[in-house]
Amino acid sequence: MNGKPAKEKIVAEHVSVEFEKDTKSFLAVDDVSLTIQEGEFVVIVGPSGCGKTTFMNTIAGLVRPVKGTVSMDGEEITGPSAERGVVFQQFALFPWKTVYENIEFGLKYRGIAREQRQEIVRKYVQMVKLDGFENSYPHELSGGMKQRVAIARVYANRPQVLLMDEPFGALDAQTRTIMQEDLSEMFVSEKRTVVFITHSVEEAIYLGDRVMIMTARPGKIKKTISISEENLVPNRRQMGFDDVIATKEFLSLKAEIWSLIKAEILAKHIY
Amino acid sequence: MSRRSETFLNFIYQEEIFLSLSSILGFVLFWHILTDLLGIFPSLILPSPEKVFFTLYEKITVPVGEERLFGHVGISVVRILVGVGLALALAVPLGILMGWYEDLDSLASPLIEVLRPIPPIAWIPLAILWFGIGLGSKVFIIAIGAFFPALINTYIGVKFVDALLIKAAKTLGAKDKDILWEVVLPASVPLIVAGIRISIGVGMMCLVAAELVAASSGLGYLIMLGGDDLKPELSLMGMILIGILGLIADRVILAVERKVIYWKKE
Repeated sequence: MNGKPAKEKIVAEHVSVEFEKDTKSFLAVDDVSLTIQEGEFVVIVGPSGCGKTTFMNTIAGLVRPVKGTVSMDGEEITGPSAERGVVFQQFALFPWKTVYENIEFGLKYRGIAREQRQEIVRKYVQMVKLDGFENSYPHELSGGMKQRVAIARVYANRPQVLLMDEPFGALDAQTRTIMQEDLSEMFVSEKRTVVFITHSVEEAIYLGDRVMIMTARPGKIKKTISISEENLVPNRRQMGFDDVIATKEFLSLKAEIWSLIKAEILAKHIY
Repeated sequence: MSRRSETFLNFIYQEEIFLSLSSILGFVLFWHILTDLLGIFPSLILPSPEKVFFTLYEKITVPVGEERLFGHVGISVVRILVGVGLALALAVPLGILMGWYEDLDSLASPLIEVLRPIPPIAWIPLAILWFGIGLGSKVFIIAIGAFFPALINTYIGVKFVDALLIKAAKTLGAKDKDILWEVVLPASVPLIVAGIRISIGVGMMCLVAAELVAASSGLGYLIMLGGDDLKPELSLMGMILIGILGLIADRVILAVERKVIYWKKE
């Protein structure tokens, strides 16, 4: 990506994950194989409960697969690491810490000196447009602001891979659009590998280099669609969300992806 | 703020105080009507509120047993502080360890589940046998009563910290020890403080129970003496003072709660 020779960052091979609920175990993810290139923005979409989050958690190292392996840079993932930062749908901010302290959290464990931490936190506070809120507590912030803090907290920690689990799912539509645009901008300026889960087909197309559609549970990969200048508009990362989703190319991609998801939902009666 | 809204707020404020006080005043008035005014209850069965308050006034200067009124209050307060303090010093760290280390949880939980249902006052005979009728036996009974609520709350607080916060900390690079200090303990503070509040309440009950049975000082002793000497006004006075002490303790812990849980939504 970005002109550099592609390098395999995350490789999942025949990954199956079981999920326990009320002492029964379900197959949540069924034989998923996937290769994510360094610097790529991969979006996973699929019907509710299809195992998207579970699959992402195996990349995070929070869940171990029962079959198959997930590796980063050729090394098997056996547990969580600061190299794979997660932005959770429910923000997961530490409520007793200020915005500043939340963003600083991971840096302390990376052995970064206080002055340097200050500099990094300041940079990311600015990037997510929270200047002046450094000393606020999470309960004093709106949903969008909380998620900005969560994103800044992960970006500031400089993970090699960012895992985002429906990060904008809890936000209202207007806030969501602005957050999508900001994230797109940050993706260009920060150049990290991103794996992003969403229910929104529009969000998937707007943000992703590649959209992976999963089947209903147990989740398998149904189809992968690349989004590029050829099938969408050039420079979409410099364009606003509303402008991109109004294009003819966007609408045809949306129709294609949506029909794939809809078929899953209807076939398995999960609506 | 405009003058009008200011007076309005003042009015509300006074109205609230008026309401809070009126239930107490109404109760005292009702009591007065039943006793002094109508004489339904003779003084030996239920003394009038005036008599109780006069007793209270009198005992400030006239000793009962070895102590004047505030001597008895002070002794009770010391007993409760030492007893509850001792209980918390043991229960909170043990609760943290049990909530954090599963092996310790499996090891200690059965023993605690057997000991916990035993009412603290069942320990009184043994407490007297082991510690005599001085400070030791009271502190022991109070500590036993105050121990379990603080332990259980701390344990639950630590054990059931929001798993999402722990996941977040792990993916930010925090190790187990960091997670305990930086995530689990701060997150459990509300439950630990709630446990301390219950412990103080139970401790007060145990205090009175212990002083009723074996003491020559303290508020429980005064209550008991009132019955023995056929002076119910002395018992009522002791009961009222315990009520006031409990109220003060609760207000103090609430103030502490507000200070340490500044980050919780109202």
